[in-house]
Amino acid sequence: MKEEARYIFSKGDLSRKDFSIQFKNEKGNMYLPIKDTKELYCFNEITLSTKLLELLSKAGIIVHFFGYYENYIGTFYPKDYLLSGRLTVAQAQVYAEKRMEIANAIICGIANNIHFVLYHYYRHGKKDLKPFLDWLKHDVGRLGSSANNIKQLLSIEGEIWARFYASFKFILPEEFIMNKRVKRPPDNPINALVSFGNSLLYSKTVSQIYHTHLNQTISFLHEPTERRFSLSLDLCEAFKPIIVFKTIFECINNRKISAAKHFDKKLNYAMLNEAGKKIFIDAFETRINQTFEHPVLKRRITYKQAIRLDAYKLIKFIMEGKPFKPFNAEENL
Amino acid sequence: MLTGTIVNYYFHCKRQCWLFYNKLNMEDNSEDVHIGRVLHELKLGDSPDAAIENVKLDKITPEYVIEMKKSDADLEAAKAQLMFYLLKLESKGIMRKGRLECIEKNKQDKKVHIVELTDENRQKFELLCREIENFLTSPTPPAAIKENKCKKCAYYEYCFV
Repeated sequence: MKEEARYIFSKGDLSRKDFSIQFKNEKGNMYLPIKDTKELYCFNEITLSTKLLELLSKAGIIVHFFGYYENYIGTFYPKDYLLSGRLTVAQAQVYAEKRMEIANAIICGIANNIHFVLYHYYRHGKKDLKPFLDWLKHDVGRLGSSANNIKQLLSIEGEIWARFYASFKFILPEEFIMNKRVKRPPDNPINALVSFGNSLLYSKTVSQIYHTHLNQTISFLHEPTERRFSLSLDLCEAFKPIIVFKTIFECINNRKISAAKHFDKKLNYAMLNEAGKKIFIDAFETRINQTFEHPVLKRRITYKQAIRLDAYKLIKFIMEGKPFKPFNAEENL
Repeated sequence: MLTGTIVNYYFHCKRQCWLFYNKLNMEDNSEDVHIGRVLHELKLGDSPDAAIENVKLDKITPEYVIEMKKSDADLEAAKAQLMFYLLKLESKGIMRKGRLECIEKNKQDKKVHIVELTDENRQKFELLCREIENFLTSPTPPAAIKENKCKKCAYYEYCFV
């Protein structure tokens, strides 16, 4: 597997050494070749130089920074190399005129993919999931298309996630049951996993959108003012069930991650410790780089590329009016 | 404003031409394009011999304008590109013949092709240039039609997803 994302967990200095990235910490020097590196993730105190940024910018490498509490701080985003004035104007126009259509498509995408993930458990005997599955399949689409404004859509979205979290009690061990979703900071192991997974996926999506002409700030479901790169929040939604939550369920149910061993006790188990982070990221990377045969393109693509393809679909909606339909796990596997 | 690349693309694929003109260019992952670029640099150096307005000429000699291609995969498109250069030069009072050199010859037995302006094709081509300019102003690109050449194209995923 080509290693495209590199994660840095220890304290140290990042600098440029010829045409490689040099990482210096207590243990000595390490060199990261520039080729095959597309993203860097920094999870600790890192010092870096402008000489390095120059190299990263030239090579189009994106750097994501996370704070002490695993919170997303921001991204070093090399100068845009793909710009299309015509698309930017059209994207804003679509926001003004067809925002609901896209937002509704995203919500259907979330519902479909949650259905896909939970149906697996239903088939393996978790019959209690039935009412929620039926609701996802039959009611969400209808509710979405009868919504008149973005607020109504957002409340449907809220309900989807709330009912999804509530369904964890049927599929996860007791120590990971979620009573309530709490963010900033999360207050128990499952909330910590969800927050961490979501911010990883968010930054992956930022990186994918970077390789398209879309404007990162014009979003449809989320308010464009919400965060700087709110389009990323939109496009990553449909992938959360299949990337973030499948990774979480896999880590918990296969006992790779346990509440006792992989969380920081001092913080009430509300944060992954270093070992936990590594296990989770490893599983996350494996999943996002997993390939499947794309039914239309007739070639194998990874989930990460699938995020890019969703961005292309959005461009096509904006430029050519082709209906936008987010990635659907059921149709693709 | 037309460029050699746009004329070339118009012959190769109209959709590609429209997308490229509207700056919806894709990230370049193609190994072939990479090879082409390096070959170009090796043979001709990285800066063009001459640049007139938005037209950049690889190489110009007292007799010829030379355009070099990696392969003869789309000869028609490459010849059209050369024709465009010849017309542009002519409008500045510079008379040349066109010389197309393909490094790999897969479809044709000749490596070198000569293109010349005649009264007949000059008129035809001037009309064509107007046609291209008109085409580029259309609000949407023409629909994608899957062909064999599509699989190698940087737009493949965008066109068919």
